[in-house]
Amino acid sequence: MSKFINTFKKMGNDSLNQDKRNQKFIFWLFLFPSLFSFAMVQIIPFAIGIYYSFTNWSATAQFSIDFVGLKNYFDAFQDPAFLYATIITSVYTILNIMLVNVIAFSLALLVTSQLKGRNIYRAGFFLPNIIGGIILGYIWQFIFNYFVPRIATMAGFTYLAENLMLGNSNTAILAMVIVSTWQSAGYIMMIYVAALQNVPRDLIEAAQIDGANAWQRFRNITIPMVSQAFTVTLFLTLVNSFKQFDVNVSLTNGGPSTMFMGKAIKGTTLLAMNISDTSTISLNTAQAQAKAIIFFLVLVTFSLIQVYVSKKREVEL
Amino acid sequence: MKKILTIISMLLVVLSLTACAPKEEEQVVITFKQNKPEIDEALQAYAAAYEEATGVKVNVVSCGGGSCVLGDMLKADYAAGEMPDIFPIDGPDSYKQWEAIVADLSAEKWVDDTSVEYVVDGKVVGFPVAVEGWGMAYNADLLAKAGIDPTTLNNYQAYVDAFAKLDGMKAELGIDSVVSMTAGPGMYWVTAHHNFNSLLSNGVPYGDLSVANKFLAGDIDETRLTEYANWVNLLFTYADKTVLTTGNYDSQVGAFLNQKAVFLHQGNWVDGNLTEATFDMAFAPHGSTTAVTDGIFVSAPAWYVVNKDSKNYQAALDFLNNMVYTELGQKYMVEDAGMIPAFGNIKLQPKGKLSQSVQSWTAEGKVYSWNQYLFAGEFRDNVLGPIYDQLAQGAVSVDEFVELFKTALTDNAK
Repeated sequence: MSKFINTFKKMGNDSLNQDKRNQKFIFWLFLFPSLFSFAMVQIIPFAIGIYYSFTNWSATAQFSIDFVGLKNYFDAFQDPAFLYATIITSVYTILNIMLVNVIAFSLALLVTSQLKGRNIYRAGFFLPNIIGGIILGYIWQFIFNYFVPRIATMAGFTYLAENLMLGNSNTAILAMVIVSTWQSAGYIMMIYVAALQNVPRDLIEAAQIDGANAWQRFRNITIPMVSQAFTVTLFLTLVNSFKQFDVNVSLTNGGPSTMFMGKAIKGTTLLAMNISDTSTISLNTAQAQAKAIIFFLVLVTFSLIQVYVSKKREVEL
Repeated sequence: MKKILTIISMLLVVLSLTACAPKEEEQVVITFKQNKPEIDEALQAYAAAYEEATGVKVNVVSCGGGSCVLGDMLKADYAAGEMPDIFPIDGPDSYKQWEAIVADLSAEKWVDDTSVEYVVDGKVVGFPVAVEGWGMAYNADLLAKAGIDPTTLNNYQAYVDAFAKLDGMKAELGIDSVVSMTAGPGMYWVTAHHNFNSLLSNGVPYGDLSVANKFLAGDIDETRLTEYANWVNLLFTYADKTVLTTGNYDSQVGAFLNQKAVFLHQGNWVDGNLTEATFDMAFAPHGSTTAVTDGIFVSAPAWYVVNKDSKNYQAALDFLNNMVYTELGQKYMVEDAGMIPAFGNIKLQPKGKLSQSVQSWTAEGKVYSWNQYLFAGEFRDNVLGPIYDQLAQGAVSVDEFVELFKTALTDNAK
């Protein structure tokens, strides 16, 4: 305490210094609440998690927690379900990034054109994003299982009525892509809208006077000018598709099954759900933790590469 | 001014922290966590009445169904040092998780009044929540209309004939399919837990583990497995494809309730969903073997265990005793929660027709055990479930199904 008072006394000697110190104090004071909670719910649990991934921790009343080295990591790589989940998550991510961005960008072009009632469209396209993934999954489950077959029967497409989208793992993945596109396209659209509105009119007018046609203007002016938005949207869709969990659980519940390496396994279990299954069904908490660490490393690597590549394409005015 | 603001905000932070601190409790409070959301209301009412009668507060938390995983909640509670005083286990898997804190209840009075308590190494550790049973639930009215006597349904051939006959009368009976069955994602418990038990226990004397142990050791009885595979295939063939491959609990039970299916592959717990049913129903045995198997599968689905480190240990024991030996507890278990009591001293009868059917099969002693829990949950959910799913989708033949099963059981034994 006396040290503290001394510091204050010293500060009194130099008013300029005191001001600076005061500012620093205020700076940390304001930062403290968020820093504190971030450390408590992110940093510290993450560090504990890394430690647990090297042990036989079970999160239950066990007699002792023993260090097992890299065993959990080796086991994870030997688990066919985990390998399959990695592959299927990559497929899902690629499909999802493409579909979400193409649709979101098209919608953004649509609602920034001279279309009548475009504000209503903007709100309408954005709305699905407000609905939680779990509820969305159940709603779409109903649509795929009952609505689509009924409409298909009425229209005479018996193939669609007899082959339910959620009844086969390949089409079930597509169904998940459709649902998540429906959910997130509106949100990504808003980012594109903001970017499109910031494209300088004078550049476009100048190009127009120079005789560039609509496609040339779009290709050479609009696209480069919104590339900053691409960095953000690609990052968001990449991370969100990779971490997909709620729609996965509620729409397909990880199934239906498929054959992989001679074994029947759940066909649409993405990585996040595989990790959760390892903990809740296999009751192998430590291995789930190891898988989560691998998942984190893979995700960080991919997003860093993506951001680096996208950044290079950005144009600064 | 700035300083005053800073001080005030700091004070607020400190105040808000101290406000969270729990107050001293003098009353005894038991925490009771359980995993059947359908009995939550009845249990809460019972707990309130219990508090009024004894002064001991019972804090009931229900976590189960699709939205809440009790296993995860217990892990969180354990990590937080707030392990409940009473919580359920559903077999060896969850027993092993909590073995270090599960109390020995061998000295309790109710042990003598039940035959389905959970025993480990000769020690009674689990209080049976109820008795449950499953077989092939049938719509007695529709069977009568089709001229089929349910008492003949007790072997494979009888079911083959009955299903074919009913399938030919679809329009007449107004049904979509003969059986209401699910095998899709999220419903693996119907196939890989309940149906799987037919392979292990059907026709085997109650408590006899010889057949199950052989499969567990990877010593595969091919005849039994092939007959079983035919039975599974029979159920899948006569099921509605949508419900079978993509259906959930509601669509499966709903088809039976709306008389769109004659048979339902579920247990007596569906009584709560069938209160509006206008038809008569009961259970028939499974037809998983060519030999006659005259009985249904009956056991306790879960057991309450007491946390031996609890500071309310005695209060928790008293509460369980109250459930068995007082009118209040018995009324809760049987009349309000609609469960079949696992204790011989209770004379009340549940109202549900399927529960009554389970009781009558039990009274005749025509019951087979539940042995599926001898296999790890991970094996059933992640290995067997997808195999049934493959057959349901028509992606594999019955022969391939048998092969996949053989490989899975052999690998499991390693």
